[in-house]
Amino acid sequence: MKIEIADSKGMKILSISGDIDMHTSPDLRRELMGLVHKKMTPILVDFGSVTYIDSSGIATFVEGLKGMMAYGGKLKLVGIPPKVMEIFCFAKLDRVFEIHGSEEDVCNR
Amino acid sequence: MGGMKDSAVIAVPSNPKYLSLIRAVTATMGEIYGMAGPVIEDVKLAVDEACSNVMKYAYRGDTSKRIIIRFVLKKGFEVIIEDNGIKAQPELIEGRSLSDVRPGGLGIHLIKRAFDVFAFDEKKKRGNRLRLIRHRGESDEDRDSRQ
Repeated sequence: MKIEIADSKGMKILSISGDIDMHTSPDLRRELMGLVHKKMTPILVDFGSVTYIDSSGIATFVEGLKGMMAYGGKLKLVGIPPKVMEIFCFAKLDRVFEIHGSEEDVCNR
Repeated sequence: MGGMKDSAVIAVPSNPKYLSLIRAVTATMGEIYGMAGPVIEDVKLAVDEACSNVMKYAYRGDTSKRIIIRFVLKKGFEVIIEDNGIKAQPELIEGRSLSDVRPGGLGIHLIKRAFDVFAFDEKKKRGNRLRLIRHRGESDEDRDSRQ
């Protein structure tokens, strides 16, 4: 898994590629919670190149979301591939997270 | 596949960096069994979750131990996961309610949606032997019928 962090139009963008599992999710957690502790908002996570996610990855995003809710931050998930989206839906998290098709969709709102 | 029994065994260190190897072997065994793509994804995730649980709970993060994963393809798709760690307490293994939004507790649901049987072998004295069986269903035969 690789994570790139960029600034764009006032947003922090985390672009993730590869597999998110119990081996890689600690790196993701460190990056995401680092931004949460600085009370960054909005944070946009680009899933476009994510090939796999397990429950440890899902738990990391739930933790990030809960951390951001404490200061009114917005966590936006974009470009989630169908097989990853299926896990969010199974966990009933598709209605909890703000999910967009692409970065452009977020910017156009 | 005929009447021949296909099987494979892998032994990996209890280190999360081996989860990708476990997933790759699971997916290949699913292909050999003739599972459809989406079913392979579910089974791969379930075996990953079960092995992650061994690393987390049975071995409590000790990466120097060993996990043995045995695949037996017969009438069903069977995966047997063995460790020598702390005994699981099946009666306490319960996922979170899916409507309760919090980190953790999802893995067990992902295992049980992919496998019809989720059972610890009570005969194993030390450690755990988890038997997962997915019975052959219509979705598993999709690929067979196309070939």
